[in-house]
Amino acid sequence: MAAVNATAASGPVWDPIVRVTHWATALAITVNGLITEGGSTLHLWVGYSALALLVLRLLWGVIGPEEARFSSFPPSVAGAIAHVRDLAAGRHRSHPSHNPAGSLMVYALWATLGLTVATGVFLQTEPFPVSPAAASSAEERHGWAVEPLDRDERDDEDETVELVEEIHELAANLLLILAALHVAGVAVESRLSGRNLVRAMIDGAPTGRSGE
Amino acid sequence: MIEDDRPHDATTQNARTAHAGRRPSETAPAAGAPWRERRRAVVLAALLFLQTFCTVFFIGDVVGDVIVEGVDIHIAFEAAVAGALAVGVVFAGLEMRRTIDRSRRAEAAVSVASGAFADLISAQFRSWNLTPAESDVALFALKGFDIAEIAELRGSAPGTVRAQLARVYAKAGVSSRTQLLAVFTDELLAGALPGLGMRSTVSSATGGQSASQPPPP
Repeated sequence: MAAVNATAASGPVWDPIVRVTHWATALAITVNGLITEGGSTLHLWVGYSALALLVLRLLWGVIGPEEARFSSFPPSVAGAIAHVRDLAAGRHRSHPSHNPAGSLMVYALWATLGLTVATGVFLQTEPFPVSPAAASSAEERHGWAVEPLDRDERDDEDETVELVEEIHELAANLLLILAALHVAGVAVESRLSGRNLVRAMIDGAPTGRSGE
Repeated sequence: MIEDDRPHDATTQNARTAHAGRRPSETAPAAGAPWRERRRAVVLAALLFLQTFCTVFFIGDVVGDVIVEGVDIHIAFEAAVAGALAVGVVFAGLEMRRTIDRSRRAEAAVSVASGAFADLISAQFRSWNLTPAESDVALFALKGFDIAEIAELRGSAPGTVRAQLARVYAKAGVSSRTQLLAVFTDELLAGALPGLGMRSTVSSATGGQSASQPPPP
């Protein structure tokens, strides 16, 4: 109980699963969104890693410690608005988990990541694990990069594939925008509340007021 | 170890009251073992991720195979392997959760215990009506500093410290540093022993003695 009270007073102490999945997902989104070529082997591996990270984090949302569970940060638009208003007015309340605005962002990020990964998996015609190296060399030979040229023979599925690819790209771009907003939100929250939220996510230390 | 801390402690703790003396003992345990513990936890988390990745990989493989080839014995076996992996991930996660809970409870218990002990000391000092300077000296004495060291820490003459310590002993009704310390350790052990079920053995062992001479207050 004392531990719970302590975290409530000074912000959450993030456990290693939350921290590892957070930073690895951030890395995966950055790498796949900005660096790797869509459809390349690296893109697929990074994408599947992101899926595994999402699965692990969602599992952790059910079986993890108190502050990592979905039940400690239910999505609430009204709560988020109230939180932002409080913050703007200079009032700050500590939350045992994500703050209400942050948790809305968390759910938005997960939903968008889920959509991106699901469409990405669908776009991969070869079931991924069979032989990524062979698949990628085939892709390179056929010049399959952004456009799925090797799917031309399957005309009936062509439209679906194009639609899914469209959704994949839209979701990926939305994901990058949300990630940027998330970073901005963390910066604003950290500045206004005087607590270093980034440090809490890096080393899992409780976020004491920086004035201490 | 203590020697290294003293020079800068001397300047910062000089004018502080006994309560401020808690700081070093609170920060000391945060340095070594927990850091190793934390790194271990991060490595465990990374391993759990690797396990999850493999599970996703195998389940994807099985689903793909079933779609392409339908179910046969080979694929059914692969599905069983993937399922076992998935169950393994859940149980590893539960185990990790338990480890995290346990280490947090232990940390909380230690901080509660050290906080309670410090509260006990300052409450006792108040009940003896120690002045702030005497509390300071008494706390340093409890922490094991000798008179010359306390004098250096407080920037006063050894004679002053000796006199202050003598007043502390007088107010506490003890005659030595050991007895002063015993006032607190006695309280600490008296609370701990019944829980450990050791009191009966202690009292029976000292029973003969306490019959002939009454125990000290």
